[in-house]
Amino acid sequence: MGKKKYSIKEDFSMLAILVIPVGVAVNFVGGQLASLLKLPMYLDTIGTIFAAMLCGPWVGAVTGGLTNIVTGIANPVNFAFIPVNVIAGLVTGFLARKQMFGVWWKWILSMLIMAAVSIISSAPIVVLVYGGVTGGGTSIITAAAMAAGANIWAAFFGTEGIFTVLDRVISFVICWLVIKVIPERTLVKFGCGSNYIKEKK
Amino acid sequence: MEKSYTEKIQIHKDNKLAALYPSTKLLVVCLYIVCTFIIGTVHVTSVGLSLLLIPWFIAVPVLCIASGAFRKCIKALKAVAVVAAIIIVVQTFLVPGGELLMRFGFITIYEKGLKTAVSLSFMIMNIAGIFVWLFQTTENREIARAMEASGMNYKAAYVFTSTLQMIEILSKNSKTIMNAQKARGVETEGNIFVRAKAFFPSLVPLILGAVISSEERVLTLEARGFSIQGEKTHLFNLEKSGCERKTAAAAIVITVLVLAGRIALWII
Repeated sequence: MGKKKYSIKEDFSMLAILVIPVGVAVNFVGGQLASLLKLPMYLDTIGTIFAAMLCGPWVGAVTGGLTNIVTGIANPVNFAFIPVNVIAGLVTGFLARKQMFGVWWKWILSMLIMAAVSIISSAPIVVLVYGGVTGGGTSIITAAAMAAGANIWAAFFGTEGIFTVLDRVISFVICWLVIKVIPERTLVKFGCGSNYIKEKK
Repeated sequence: MEKSYTEKIQIHKDNKLAALYPSTKLLVVCLYIVCTFIIGTVHVTSVGLSLLLIPWFIAVPVLCIASGAFRKCIKALKAVAVVAAIIIVVQTFLVPGGELLMRFGFITIYEKGLKTAVSLSFMIMNIAGIFVWLFQTTENREIARAMEASGMNYKAAYVFTSTLQMIEILSKNSKTIMNAQKARGVETEGNIFVRAKAFFPSLVPLILGAVISSEERVLTLEARGFSIQGEKTHLFNLEKSGCERKTAAAAIVITVLVLAGRIALWII
């Protein structure tokens, strides 16, 4: 297959426009489900990753941004985290374009990149805007580490790091399982969909 | 007389403040945030706390009451208050630095911690509070319509409204799928690994179904001329309450006064 050219305008096809609401809703439901099952992770970027994997970085970024705007309507604390979700979408989208989701060792690499990017982008917001704690599940551990005299940044990276990697692994596996069962005739309609189809010999 | 369908879907509010045009409300929100930042730089007492943010916060409940949406706002404000309270507690008691102010047994309060605690939490309360007012007094389709009227692409407005509908649909579907999987023997209680495993069979069918159905929705929308170029007619129209100019002027005057007061304090 020759190299595909991408343009932002073509990225937002009719199908992509309809995937954005689905992605946002999946983010929302994923987060709800994670708290229902009492998992110590947020798991609220599954939709962003999914949209980015199928339709490229710009659709992923819009999905991420819109998620936090919509959840921000109920709880404006989420507005501050818009950049985190946007960056997650962008990075995943570019990885998808570079076909980084083809082989297993590339998966591990891209999962680590995704986790690293989201920790690095969320750390300054959590520390500077909210002073290290946001009331989420892992906040208690962060607070305990801070009380023990750890630096606020170190405390955040230490606790969030482990859970973010786990979060990304689970999110990615779910997206992968879904993409594997989407029929090929549907998959080709998405911007990056053809990357996931194995050529038949 | 029987109302026609287009009359039924219009939104009419008796309260003048709640009925403001969405973009005017947005202006008020922006100016309020600017004021919050200005007031946050004023440090009073010997330790330098930005205590003035607390009386400034009274503006939010006052606005909510004046708009007649106090009950709705309280619920959203509670969620914000919880976050602010956690920040106060953690920052005051856990962050060392600066002078030691107080000590009761094992609890210590330091100057730096108290300072960040007060300014951060009330900054968040103020900014989040004004957004609560905006979204609790404005319906989502009003926002979407105003977005379109301000020259935004109609596709963007569609994505916004469709997102809100989609969240409702998918939350409902996820409950159905969860129950179905439970009936088939997927365990949702137990240790963390059992619960984590239950996450997959509930979410994968949900996403898959949503994607497949969005393919069908493309066909439906195209068949109804969604991507056609040309003038669109609207069933739902926004009405102005008539106080837009007065409100905007008042907001600007207050901002200028706050700014002037801050500069005056500097000079003194």
